[in-house]
Amino acid sequence: MSAIVVGYVPNALGEAAVAEAVEEARRRGAELVVINTTRADRLVNPAYADSEDVSKLEGMLSTTGVTYSIRHSISEATAAEEVVDTAEELSAELIVIGLRHRTPVGKLIMGSTAQTILLSAPCNVLAVKL
Amino acid sequence: MSSVDSFFLLMEGFATAMQPMYLLFALGGVLVGTAVGVLPGIGPAMTVALLMPITYSLEPTAAIIVFAGIYYGGMYGGSTTSILLNTPGESSSIVTALEGNKMAKAGRGAAALATAAVGSFVAGTIATVLLSFLAPYVAAFAVQIGPVEYVALMVVAFLTVGALLGSSVLRGLASLGLGLFIALVGFDALTAQQRYTFGSPFLADGIDVVLVAVALFAVGEALYVASRLRHGPIKVIPVTGGWTSWLRKDDLRRSWKPWLRGTFIGFPVGTIPAGGADVATFLSYASERKLAKGENKKQFGKGAIEGVAGPEAANNAAAAGVLVPLLTLGIPTTATAAMMLVAFQRYQIPVGPQLFESNSALVWALIASLYVGNLMLLVLNLPLVGIWVKILQIPRPYLYAGILVFAVLGAFSVNFTPIDVIILLVVGILGFFMRRFGYPIAPMVVGLILGPIFESQLRRSLAISQGDPVALIQSPVAATIYVVLIVIFALSFLLKRRQRQFEAMVAANADAPDVVRGSVAPTEGAPVESTTPTTSTSTSTTSTTTTPDRKDTDR
Amino acid sequence: MSTSIQNSPGSGTTAAPGKPIGELVFALLIVSIGVVGFVAGAGIQTPTSASDIGPRAFPYAVSALLVAVGAGLVIQVLRGHRGSADEGEDVDLDAKTDWLTVGKLAGFVLLHAFMIVPLGWPLAAAILFFGAAWSLGARPWWRNLVTAIVLALVLQFVFGGLLGVSLPPGFLEGLGVFGG
Repeated sequence: MSAIVVGYVPNALGEAAVAEAVEEARRRGAELVVINTTRADRLVNPAYADSEDVSKLEGMLSTTGVTYSIRHSISEATAAEEVVDTAEELSAELIVIGLRHRTPVGKLIMGSTAQTILLSAPCNVLAVKL
Repeated sequence: MSSVDSFFLLMEGFATAMQPMYLLFALGGVLVGTAVGVLPGIGPAMTVALLMPITYSLEPTAAIIVFAGIYYGGMYGGSTTSILLNTPGESSSIVTALEGNKMAKAGRGAAALATAAVGSFVAGTIATVLLSFLAPYVAAFAVQIGPVEYVALMVVAFLTVGALLGSSVLRGLASLGLGLFIALVGFDALTAQQRYTFGSPFLADGIDVVLVAVALFAVGEALYVASRLRHGPIKVIPVTGGWTSWLRKDDLRRSWKPWLRGTFIGFPVGTIPAGGADVATFLSYASERKLAKGENKKQFGKGAIEGVAGPEAANNAAAAGVLVPLLTLGIPTTATAAMMLVAFQRYQIPVGPQLFESNSALVWALIASLYVGNLMLLVLNLPLVGIWVKILQIPRPYLYAGILVFAVLGAFSVNFTPIDVIILLVVGILGFFMRRFGYPIAPMVVGLILGPIFESQLRRSLAISQGDPVALIQSPVAATIYVVLIVIFALSFLLKRRQRQFEAMVAANADAPDVVRGSVAPTEGAPVESTTPTTSTSTSTTSTTTTPDRKDTDR
Repeated sequence: MSTSIQNSPGSGTTAAPGKPIGELVFALLIVSIGVVGFVAGAGIQTPTSASDIGPRAFPYAVSALLVAVGAGLVIQVLRGHRGSADEGEDVDLDAKTDWLTVGKLAGFVLLHAFMIVPLGWPLAAAILFFGAAWSLGARPWWRNLVTAIVLALVLQFVFGGLLGVSLPPGFLEGLGVFGG
């Protein structure tokens, strides 16, 4: 069974990405792997889901009927690397990510998880926009 | 000096502080102060030490206003983190975290922040008024005292800061001794003899106070945090509700008395060097708990607003109280006050009883800027809470790397020689081990700063008495000071004992900080294989994986 | 989270398992600084002045304080009373000491000291920031690099240019805005 890897962050964009990934998983008959990690290098990381977010996500996914798993971890790797590595490991056929509108300056300062994934992904990438 | 005189001088101070230029400096100071108060691992004392290079080009009034803003801003910022994060920070915020964090969890975070901010403002303003009218009298009295009494006062400062600030008396005194020792290196001011220079021309001028302070506060802290870096983000409790929910009528009714009580507990505790702000917050909390009645009393431990309002007010009132001995006697009783004294010294302004006469305009501009800064903090703090929480997203490596860069900048600009950077590193490593083994830093800095003044006053006293040490306790004023010292000691030990029992009780009852974890508790260090479902049924597996340290090319 | 439980009020020490060698060495270091204070203090020249206690007395007093307090600490440590390490928001007291990172950071500060003069302050500071951020585990490297360069230039501009602190500008020599 092929796999779809989706990067999740606990906000509207992350939820949209997961919803889109669920559609794709249904269409392709694929297994869904939801990833949320943090490098734990700062006191507060809003991109990292807490247990409440995870159980909400699980509740949502369990109603879809899609086979899924959630990888929720503290990792040395950046979120982008974690997504790409997982896609490689599972020979995934698709990566789904959320894509924010960014100003050029914002890109320079914050770097871009999405860009890293796009450039180093072993498979197609679906960018979900809000 | 009559209080009418001080009123007019204060008005003149306002005229200075309200100039747009100085308003900007005050704004900058309070913003930086709040930011560092919010940020982990960096406090107002470190910030003032790191920003000491600004004294090379700013005029004294501007620099002192910036530093005062940082001092007050730090107090406000600290309360934000303790309410929203429940992090184990300094002991003075333990009490706020206790009730404030419970309130935030119950969705009353906005009210907790509001009562802390308004309480800080009320207390800060009342305490600054008290400072404005009390300080000139103290100074007028202090001008008349001689070297013998001055020696007595400094003995009080040394012993209270050394023995009472830390958790261990011996370690505090050792820290004080190290500071006094480093202060001895260089030329003796009275006889121009070299002491402990070991023939090195670099040591002949002495080791700069700023260098040692930056090394101890910044480099020591960065190394110490690096040695035991916390992993895992802490959950921020989101502040919900608009402006209207911030401070409801009922909250206000329950808060105003604790604010006032906190102020009148905090200010006196701040003026005497009896253990600093944490004693004041603890006293305020204990009294609010005792005074609460009925339903409100039951809320203690579950998020009582009185338990945030009182201690936060006490905290800020104590901060203003600390300025009384600093400005009237030139005796710093906290690390931040010590750094402000260094700033005065940078400008060759003699800090002591004569300060109110010799630099009247500067002192009153400083006091006026405290009023202004307090108001700015009240106005800025609440609407900007979102920004302060954002600051917490700065990755730790950048924070501590930045602290190191500021530290070397400060060290290098002392004499513009790279050797100072090496001295910075050596003293920084000393600071690292002091933290590691539980030696408090503040006594060392106070000893370093007051050491030379103490020695010259001591020698003047003994010169007058022709070497008879009994003269040091014969003066009635000095004798009174020593008696007060004994009383302070007795009281403080009693208080500390109660505080410890109280903290032990709190530690037993309080939750750990809300570290965000996966649904399955992670076993850090031991990699857990992630289990992915192999069956085609709709199962879910939430696995928590700790990837072992990757040897990537870009690390 | 208060991991240090005070076992005896007033002493502020914790009975912790493990060998307190480091702590013992530190306490002995305090004693030895006091001893050095006495030995070197004897070499301080005292001009003959009748009314003054001279430049030697206070150093002796401080040395005596260090010896006495240090000795007291040695005894306390040997008896098993150990200092409770500093708590902090970013500090995990249960974590094992990461000596490698501490060493790297100290190394980069030392390196910085030797590079200020040949390379100029901004470049030396950028290298320090980059090295320190890398030591502390910041990634990706290019973001560290960009942040390092921007911070170094901003500090050079603010302190060297605006505030007139004479930091050697290195390769920025000649650009007025960066001072020098």
